[in-house]
Amino acid sequence: MTAEESDLVLVKRVQRGDKSAFDLLVRKYQHKVVKLVLRYVRNPAEAEDIAQEAFIKAYRALPQFRGDSAFYTWMYRIAINTAKNSLASRDRSPIRYDLDLTDPEESHGVQTKLQDPDTPEGMALTEEIRGIVNSAIDALPEELKTAIVLRELDGLSYEEIAAAMECPVGTVRSRIFRAREAIDKRLREVFEGGLGRTEEMV
Amino acid sequence: MNEELDSQLSAMFDGELPGGECELIARRLSRDEALRSQWSRYSMIGAAIRAERGVALHDRVAWRVQSTIAAEPVYGDGADVGSTNARTAAVVPAEVLRRASTRRWARFTRPLAGVGIAASVAAAAILFLRVQGGDSGEMLAENAATPTQSIVLTPEPAAVTAGAAVQPERVALSSNGREPDRYTTPAPSTQTNLAQNASLANYVVAHSEYSGPISRRMALLGLLGSENGSAALPESTAAKDAGAEAPDAP
Repeated sequence: MTAEESDLVLVKRVQRGDKSAFDLLVRKYQHKVVKLVLRYVRNPAEAEDIAQEAFIKAYRALPQFRGDSAFYTWMYRIAINTAKNSLASRDRSPIRYDLDLTDPEESHGVQTKLQDPDTPEGMALTEEIRGIVNSAIDALPEELKTAIVLRELDGLSYEEIAAAMECPVGTVRSRIFRAREAIDKRLREVFEGGLGRTEEMV
Repeated sequence: MNEELDSQLSAMFDGELPGGECELIARRLSRDEALRSQWSRYSMIGAAIRAERGVALHDRVAWRVQSTIAAEPVYGDGADVGSTNARTAAVVPAEVLRRASTRRWARFTRPLAGVGIAASVAAAAILFLRVQGGDSGEMLAENAATPTQSIVLTPEPAAVTAGAAVQPERVALSSNGREPDRYTTPAPSTQTNLAQNASLANYVVAHSEYSGPISRRMALLGLLGSENGSAALPESTAAKDAGAEAPDAP
């Protein structure tokens, strides 16, 4: 089974009425979509807003998705179109530079903005997570490290990794899983009770 | 957490899990929040390894999307709605619910109708045989005690119970929604005409679910006419009918 087929299983579940399967697709691709949108807009918070809008558009269009292309390819196109439309509409809107911080509504907006994860504090958290992941990878046995890097950084399939590492596909699957488990364990130790989402919900 | 399950989750995240297992894990994910969080962290680990600049490592986008689509309609018939989904699911249109309900009823009533027809035919055959004479019961009992391949006959001594015993067994086979392991027919009997009649009656009962009402009636008429040893014609008719409508039957 390919990643496309695996996503299609989730897509079909959404089409049969399982909304939570769409949440899994969003969780899987949110970082990639935000990264994609960041090619069009520089502001990470704005990129997140556009990514959110793109996912919602995708959900609404999902009954028409027939699986002729991979879900991510389809999502990619929606995200790019949403980003372009957002840029076009922004160009049409007048830009305001003056912020009246005595106005409660505007000052609330600024306050919210300061609490966004793309603020220095938010980015510091992201950097901390990145640091934990990197140090956990450094601590991995060589074969686990190679397997997870080939998978996540180079995007190789298990079969390609098996050929590169001269081992069975089952061993690759096990190595990648054990690498993820080790990194995940470190993350859970540092951020007991969950990351990001818990913080947001609080 | 279960290591095998985690390993499957990791493989599914990479799109390397076989289709059937993938469907099962997807089903599990729809109701297991811990597993969903793990899925999120796998995504976060990947993003961290790729060092995607400017991409914050959190689930904020997913959380916002989930909050927004909670108010959106559920697609399909909602058959795969998981517990996580149920918490936020919008109201399913009444028409969708009605259709799903009708389908569920049809699933149960269809096999029961088949069982009802089979029971009626069995009762008619047994009543007829009882009317035929006092010794027919003994003959049937003798025939029933003989090991046969039929799923209808049981080693019960009384022939009268043979028809009644058909019901629970056929309900069990049908209510599971599965096809029986195999279709069998009674072994040819070299006994008297009455024994042939009993065998034929059992055959008709066994195949009544798969034969048309006209063919079944023909077979029963043939059975009535075979009192004087002319059972060959209906047997061939029934066999032909069973063979035509149930290709798996030998």
